[in-house]
Amino acid sequence: MSHLSPVAQRLRLTFGKSGPLIYTSNLDTAKIWERVLRRAHLPILYTKGFNTRPRISLAMPLPLGVSSDCEILEISLRERIALRQDELRERLLSVSPAGLTIGAIVEVDKRASNPQALLISAEYRIQFLDEIDGPLLQRKIDKLLSRKSIIVDRVRRRKRSVMDIRPLILGLHLDGSGDLLAHLSIGERGNLRPDHLLEHLGLSQMHHSVHRFKLHMLDD
Amino acid sequence: MVSASIMDPRRIESELERHLLSVEKPGRYVGGEYNSVAKDWAGIDIKVALAFPDIYDLGMSNLGIMNLYNQVNLEPDMLAERVFSPWLDMEALMRERDIPLYSLENKQPVRNFDLLGISLPYEQLYSNAVNLLDLAGLPVLSRDRDESHSLVIAGGHACFNPEPMADFIDAFVIGEGEEIIVEVARAVGKLRGASRQEQLREIAKIQGMYVPRFYDVEYNDDGTVRSISPNQPGFPARVLKRIVVTLPKPFTKFIVPNIDTVHNRAPIEIMRGCTRGCRFCHAGMVTRPVRERPVSEIMSAIAEIVEHTGFEEISLLSLSSSDYAWVEELAEEVNRVYKDAGLSLSLPSLRIESASADLLEKIGGTRRSGFTFAPEAATEKMRDLINKYVPDEQVLQTARDVYSRGWRTIKFYFMIGHPEETVEDVQAIIDLCVKTLAEGTRILGKKATLNVGVSTFIPKPHTPFQWAPQDKRESVDRKQRMLKRQMRRGGMHLRWNNYEDSEFEGWLSRGDRRLGRVIRLAWELGCKFDAWGDQHRHGSWLRAFEESGIDPNFYNFRERDLDEVFPWDHIDVGIHKKFLREDYLMSVKRETRVDCRDKCFACGILPKFAKERSTTEDMAWECPPVKPISERKRGRQAAIPLSAIG
Repeated sequence: MSHLSPVAQRLRLTFGKSGPLIYTSNLDTAKIWERVLRRAHLPILYTKGFNTRPRISLAMPLPLGVSSDCEILEISLRERIALRQDELRERLLSVSPAGLTIGAIVEVDKRASNPQALLISAEYRIQFLDEIDGPLLQRKIDKLLSRKSIIVDRVRRRKRSVMDIRPLILGLHLDGSGDLLAHLSIGERGNLRPDHLLEHLGLSQMHHSVHRFKLHMLDD
Repeated sequence: MVSASIMDPRRIESELERHLLSVEKPGRYVGGEYNSVAKDWAGIDIKVALAFPDIYDLGMSNLGIMNLYNQVNLEPDMLAERVFSPWLDMEALMRERDIPLYSLENKQPVRNFDLLGISLPYEQLYSNAVNLLDLAGLPVLSRDRDESHSLVIAGGHACFNPEPMADFIDAFVIGEGEEIIVEVARAVGKLRGASRQEQLREIAKIQGMYVPRFYDVEYNDDGTVRSISPNQPGFPARVLKRIVVTLPKPFTKFIVPNIDTVHNRAPIEIMRGCTRGCRFCHAGMVTRPVRERPVSEIMSAIAEIVEHTGFEEISLLSLSSSDYAWVEELAEEVNRVYKDAGLSLSLPSLRIESASADLLEKIGGTRRSGFTFAPEAATEKMRDLINKYVPDEQVLQTARDVYSRGWRTIKFYFMIGHPEETVEDVQAIIDLCVKTLAEGTRILGKKATLNVGVSTFIPKPHTPFQWAPQDKRESVDRKQRMLKRQMRRGGMHLRWNNYEDSEFEGWLSRGDRRLGRVIRLAWELGCKFDAWGDQHRHGSWLRAFEESGIDPNFYNFRERDLDEVFPWDHIDVGIHKKFLREDYLMSVKRETRVDCRDKCFACGILPKFAKERSTTEDMAWECPPVKPISERKRGRQAAIPLSAIG
């Protein structure tokens, strides 16, 4: 490891989490990636200093218990590697824990801004594990969507504030199979988590699973 | 008890899917980690559940469990799966939803395993072990279980006195488990269909296995043990511990946790046992003989661990790393190969000497974890008494060496509470710490820190201090008050043991079979997680003693008669009681013994394991080779670097 080596190459991976990995926090997911990359012998770049850390970053925290197939990981390499996507994916998957999936791997500009800054919204599929009353659920959805504003009290960094979450709901509907599809704002402009949405619908008591299937970026 | 009709794995999974998010750190309860081994349940004959009776975060750092997991899973017709204690919130959920204790790999209820092996490295886990049996839906008492239940065995350092847990465990592994676990599992497989009694009779024939029900205890009127003897022919009067003649190749395919754990790193045992003979040290007595690994074996293990796990931190473990014969070569090699590899290696348990700073500097890796030393005592008297001699000047010189190389933090371990200890001896600890920190401040200014852990002495079975009384509350309180008053100052951080925790550990450490009732009552009163200071309910334990009609002070405060029969005397760790007694009397007279590599004191290990020793290479053990006198050369000594003897 050289303290001076600059970024030789920056890669953006789309990955998914399912099964046991949905119970792994964001911080621990980064740790998993760090070790996967090391097992795969990728020349990761490390930060300088006393406690050196690999230069990798996850674009957007995934709430605990939520599965996904659209997470974004960026890694900085200290030397360039030949990017043969399928081969690299295989190499990573062969040293990955159960529940980790890998989608597209692309090279991004070394000076491109971090994806965190570009993310604006996420789409979730909420599946109910028990029988649901479709029409009742539909009425609840309609009622929520008909409101002009939904003011909630928030405590963030020990500061109380009020916030209107209505504008953060970009889309909400039931699909044919009875799953709830929610398009929610994330990032700088405000973050609405699917579990909070369910609270406002009065549905948090119903057993459900949540899957994030799309992250939208500003340029999309 | 969890209801008898047990859920199948699919039901368990579905319950988890519905409810797991309501508990803290749900990742503890789902398995699926890289390198975990989930074999095809239906296709495997012999099933072993390996339990560590505390939470996942702690149990996953236990090298012993991992070793056994590996040994069993290497057998094609066997599987081993992990079980840990659920934390309080998860236990409540499991009891409410009738979810039985299950294995992480196949989510199989523990009751579906042929064998349940419980790791008991320390006594504070006893209440959790009982709770674990109950959560598994097994009757907690051995006598209430039959061949329809999993056979329950336990092993680990606490089991060198198995008696307090004798009511709950069917059979104990005395000594090292790497080989015996497979032998026991094999036997259990063969004995399917036999009665439990018959199964245990066979298990007891495996060398190193102790089955309490085949031994009767008689007591004297004063409550001491009169005798412990087999109640059936064919069982040995004393159960000799099992050892592995040479250490099996280090385990390297560590399970990589998906959540953060206490020691999120891989350990390699570089040496087992210790030749120092500190009189308070249980591990030093029960892990003899000293066996070392060649440097090449350790180096390949490091490489394999990096390859298999991606861990960024590896810890090279032993009871006394400075005494590892090739420690300098090892440090050189590590430095040569891993200097710039972003890998952090730690070498704990170093001796207090300047050479240690050199060693750690070489091995240091990227994360300088700091220095930990254990002077234990600070006066000549106490150092002689416990047989651990490190002069003040050596402590201070080492501190200077460490601080002047830029390390800011030193950690010291001391021990208080020996009955012979006076306030002057405690004051000397304080003075030495103050002087040490002053050295640091002189070199580094206010950045220098000294962390001091002061534990309370607990006499342990199979050590020279097994005859000694434990210090009483008033005395410990007084000593701790002195420490707190004088050591809470800038740059110094003091930690100490809660008196009640020490008292509790004392009861169980030198306890006898009658404590089974106390443990059961305490568990019924809700005692569990006794190792977690804030969970230990001392009052409930005292009540359990009272209701059992047993005086807890009997175990801690008596000075035992030199001829007393101890509840653990039928457990043979290979060391003569005569040797321990002699050492105890030497301690009373302030006499010391040198490192036994310099002079064999005939502790008993060699005659007990002479046959094993004769099959090993000279270098494999620290004990002298067993050879005809004509062939006994001093070659061994010549091979050790002088500094390692030093």
